[in-house]
Amino acid sequence: MAETTTLSPTRPRKPRLRIRTVVIAIGIVAFTIYAARQSGWDWGSFVTVWTNPLWGRFWPIDWEWVSDRNNVLDPLIETFQIAVVATVIGCLLALPIGFLMSNLTTPNRPTFVVVRSVMNVIRAIPDLLLAVILVAAVSIGAFGGAIALTVFSTAVLVKLFSETIDGADPRPLEAALAAGGRHTAAVRAGVLPEVFPAYVAYSAYVFELNVRASVVIGLVGGGGIGRVIEAQRQFFRYDRIFGVLIVIFIIVMIIEQISDAIRRRVL
Amino acid sequence: MIEFDDVSVTYRGGVKALRNVSLTIDDGEFVVVVGLSGAGKSTLLRALNGLVPATSGSIQFNGTEVVGAKGAELRKVRSQIGMIFQTFNLATRTTVMNNVLMGRLATVPTWRSTLGLWPAADKELAFRALERVGIVDKAYVRASNLSGGQQQRVGIARALAQEPSVMLADEPVAALDPVTSHQVMGDLQRINRDLGITTLINLHFLDLARSYGKRLIGLREGQLVFDGDIADVDDDTFREIYGRAITPDDLLSMDAASGG
Repeated sequence: MAETTTLSPTRPRKPRLRIRTVVIAIGIVAFTIYAARQSGWDWGSFVTVWTNPLWGRFWPIDWEWVSDRNNVLDPLIETFQIAVVATVIGCLLALPIGFLMSNLTTPNRPTFVVVRSVMNVIRAIPDLLLAVILVAAVSIGAFGGAIALTVFSTAVLVKLFSETIDGADPRPLEAALAAGGRHTAAVRAGVLPEVFPAYVAYSAYVFELNVRASVVIGLVGGGGIGRVIEAQRQFFRYDRIFGVLIVIFIIVMIIEQISDAIRRRVL
Repeated sequence: MIEFDDVSVTYRGGVKALRNVSLTIDDGEFVVVVGLSGAGKSTLLRALNGLVPATSGSIQFNGTEVVGAKGAELRKVRSQIGMIFQTFNLATRTTVMNNVLMGRLATVPTWRSTLGLWPAADKELAFRALERVGIVDKAYVRASNLSGGQQQRVGIARALAQEPSVMLADEPVAALDPVTSHQVMGDLQRINRDLGITTLINLHFLDLARSYGKRLIGLREGQLVFDGDIADVDDDTFREIYGRAITPDDLLSMDAASGG
């Protein structure tokens, strides 16, 4: 017993909560309360909102209108097409850009800095604002929406993918360079195989985001089912909008399942 | 012919990995480099193919100056020097064939290798390299599905596919069990004898160095402390290189490995 006390160091006291931690916690709480007051937060409206006569307009659903393919199915197909085109083009662009934006695989420092700066600027623009601008600049309808979503997809995937490359094993790249390969060829042979499954998984995820985003982009003139929702809202036909929402819900669920399955398979 | 003349390597941060090393290696030699970890073995090999740039001195490879070489010139040097790594350094998520074809990157146009459109002649070289190490049947298996010994053979095949005049092996058996270690060392010895490829191997197991090496180079704290015929080497020599007595950990033999 005496031996153990001499050999082992004394037990440390439990460290006290640091004052800085306490100050930060109090600060967050205080600011939240202040911000809630300023923005007119009212718990009561969680109850009173249900007395709004608006909810009565959601029911009964106008299934007859919903089931006419001109009203819902065709615009929905357009939305789906926007999402597919934007995902495929965006992901193809993101593959080379991702390699330029990773410390492991970028050919040189200036390229890295320029690409990263441009991508940061693009990502800083909210996608809805991007859609409003591009729809105005290109054309109202599906094409404007598709371009906006393509830019958005590229920016998101480049970010995710370049971070995966940063974490990739550098050793196969070293081997390819040691064999005398050019930079591009060595990256293709040594790094791409290691990060490709993650690229596919992220692409599936971006497609999922795009299906939802393409609905929203329609609201601001980007074509597809969003335009239909916006038109019906102007006529207060919430019974129709509710029907559209149910259809969208089912489709988004199915696509998420498929995208999940793809990710589970490749990762 | 390889000539190191007064070569020093200082890493960023000030660590001196090699100090004024001079040595000459003739074509077809089989050289084993020993020393403690951190003695500069790895740096010595990597300075030769420019993976680590030498800070001063001159490294001549078949008449080409490697120190300061860039771009096409450096790639040409590298293409003639095959390299084998302790951790194999394979792209594990692709096929054995694609890994071996990496050895052809220096000669195949980038657009072809990028699209996977390898010329038939290069595929033939890759197959022959796989046959030489005895795993041609695994050509289209994913590299991650092979055992450690098989993966190192893919590493050797990748280097052979370069048709190199020099082979560098950086602790090629450190990640392998004793039996596999001897097989891989045997492969390297055969390649040296049959193809006349100059071979430089870093090892830290002394008994392996003794049984496979012809010429021994000893490094200690970045300095060349021994260079001579392995037949003249005794335990005192090793003690000088290691700066301490030999322990069972320095030996690969089954007895030592099992703690005997």
